[in-house]
Amino acid sequence: MLEIKHTLCPSCSVGCGINVILNDGEIVGTFPYKRHPVNAGKNCLNGRTSIESYQNKFQTALVSNSETDTEKAIGDVLKELNSVDASDVTVICSGNNSVEECKAIKEFGESKNYNIAFYADNLKDFGEVASYDDIENAASVFVIGDLLYENPLIGRRIVHAKQNDAKIYALGKSDKSVTFNIADEVATGSVQEFLDSNSANIEESSVIVFNYVDGQEDLEKLENANCKVLPVFSKSNSKGAFSVVDAKSEEEMIELLDNTKVLLVFNDDVVNDIDYDFTKISKIISFAPCENDTTAISNIVIPIKTWLENDGSFVNAMGESQAFSAVVESDVLSEIEIIEKLNG
Amino acid sequence: MSYVLAKSQNDDILKAGECGGAVTSILKYLLDEGIVDGVLAISPCDDVYDGIPTFVTNSEDLINTAGSYHCAPTMIGGLVQKYFFDKKVAVTAKPCDMRAIEELIVRHKINKDNIYVIGLNCGGTVSPVSGRKMIDRFYEADPDDVVSEEIDKGKFIIELADGSEEAVKIHDLENEGYGRRTNCQRCDVKIPRKANIACGNWGAEDGWTFIEINDEKGQELIDGAKKAGILETKSPADAAVQGREKVEGIMINMAKKVQNAIYPTVSEMDEWSRCISCYACRDVCPICWCFENCELNKPYFKDVQNIPPSPIAFQGVRLSHMSFSCVDCGQCDDVCPMDIPVSLIFDKLQKKYFDRTGYVAGVSDDVKPPLYSPEKTEL
Repeated sequence: MLEIKHTLCPSCSVGCGINVILNDGEIVGTFPYKRHPVNAGKNCLNGRTSIESYQNKFQTALVSNSETDTEKAIGDVLKELNSVDASDVTVICSGNNSVEECKAIKEFGESKNYNIAFYADNLKDFGEVASYDDIENAASVFVIGDLLYENPLIGRRIVHAKQNDAKIYALGKSDKSVTFNIADEVATGSVQEFLDSNSANIEESSVIVFNYVDGQEDLEKLENANCKVLPVFSKSNSKGAFSVVDAKSEEEMIELLDNTKVLLVFNDDVVNDIDYDFTKISKIISFAPCENDTTAISNIVIPIKTWLENDGSFVNAMGESQAFSAVVESDVLSEIEIIEKLNG
Repeated sequence: MSYVLAKSQNDDILKAGECGGAVTSILKYLLDEGIVDGVLAISPCDDVYDGIPTFVTNSEDLINTAGSYHCAPTMIGGLVQKYFFDKKVAVTAKPCDMRAIEELIVRHKINKDNIYVIGLNCGGTVSPVSGRKMIDRFYEADPDDVVSEEIDKGKFIIELADGSEEAVKIHDLENEGYGRRTNCQRCDVKIPRKANIACGNWGAEDGWTFIEINDEKGQELIDGAKKAGILETKSPADAAVQGREKVEGIMINMAKKVQNAIYPTVSEMDEWSRCISCYACRDVCPICWCFENCELNKPYFKDVQNIPPSPIAFQGVRLSHMSFSCVDCGQCDDVCPMDIPVSLIFDKLQKKYFDRTGYVAGVSDDVKPPLYSPEKTEL
């Protein structure tokens, strides 16, 4: 029996809609969600392959790389947590978690006096930000990062701005940037240099869109810009997580990791995100739907529901909250159910 | 080919259907008699702008698929090919759906014996997001209050919950960049004559569906539905047949004008310069059935260091490989994150191919495109 159901793309913070195709209850593909106001049925390759996290999901818990019953693995997690001081435990919350999960993780961490960390691409929350329509209607758009290639459904808005006669200024990490192909002026230097050299061109009617910065001083500069800005995060609910947990810079994360003996990672790939020697941490425990660099080095891995099996809400980069519902039933525990078990 | 006017004998279907409810009634007949395992049709999900393909196996659920959904620019060819090859199915098909199905039949990817195609005449479809903006801008109504829409006599008509209607000329909407999708504006195949039957309201009396019966299977459908007591038919007057021909002719002439105006304006290399090689156009293309084994997936075409991607290495190769089979369904435009008018570029070349060979993808009676046939040596 063929069914097509709505959900959200989990691949980045743009908040695109996506339809999934189910055949006899199995997720077999994606289908354009043309009614969705953010992307009108357009999805990038990451979005269209996002269902692979469901198709490649963990089938069992892993303790020291051996398959184990989930209940037993949760018991092992409790033993590890009870063996150290609360101050030695760090809980990683992630933009991959829904708003509801972020709240549960925060509550859990605070109730146990654990350290709580959240990393969002070394970026910060800018509160009120530019909307996607603001980009299209801007007189000039300053683009930091290859948004056309890396966040194509924001890139599309930049293309529309160009078609509306906006001037496009693009900064890339190298000259191989697709965004450069539509830009009027291009640069490959630092973010500071880019902002400084364009300070006279940045006006109230401009929008600055970015998906990276070189350092925290860039964030201050962007915060003080005389126009709207839009940070675009690599994870679907980073903007929503900001409203629950304060984000840390890479430097602050490294400082915290240096003082961590047990690291609880909730649906994140911190090993991929932060350049750090994670072998210095005694125990890494991951709660993840499928394999990533962090689960690969984790002592214990507890499977969690993928977003396709879960209900919740994500807040997209421009601050709109969007709810999603499970498209398929699952016996796998959600993060909230696991936290309830950890709380006893 | 023959014509009938048809009307449902089921009151609920008659009320929910667009013009006489013949389509839904024929689908009900096919399901109730066990002739098909299921029906693939469009039904609204969240609202009238959100039509999605739905597989129906219980005829009581068919009522949810009744009516027309011009803001649901879907394509079912790929779904039939991927998920229903071994099943007996009935589908509703716009001309571009039918053309895709025909091309896939030619490629042995759809079993003609397993499929019943109820064709739907089509004056064009509207993208849902753009459609809502259009209603907000050009109509007095709130887009959320629209309960149904229709394209008739050159107007896009909306019906509101209170029963009132508003209409704006499509020409005026399209002059402002709204209205039908651009591929629909230049589409010159308005009646799906490769379908077993082609249904619509052109030339029909109020409360009746005008049906063109295209083949023996189509005649069996009509006869069977009548015998089952769900369909009433009568012969259309000559004036009705001529009226329908006139509507079709006007729409084709309008499409040709758009073609002549737009083909010279597209600059392929400029448009391709923003291609990110995400393969969305290829993956959604109903004719590109072999993408899992596609040469473009081979390592020599996949150089991860090659950013930005070379347009020729993807778009150029695909254009040379597929354009003569393009059915101009516009799905590639719809899914392109960079808004590249892919179908315009492909359709433009298809028309050049037509000029040389007379082949129209999904319409011509040739078994294969000439480039796949012995005629190749002559080209």
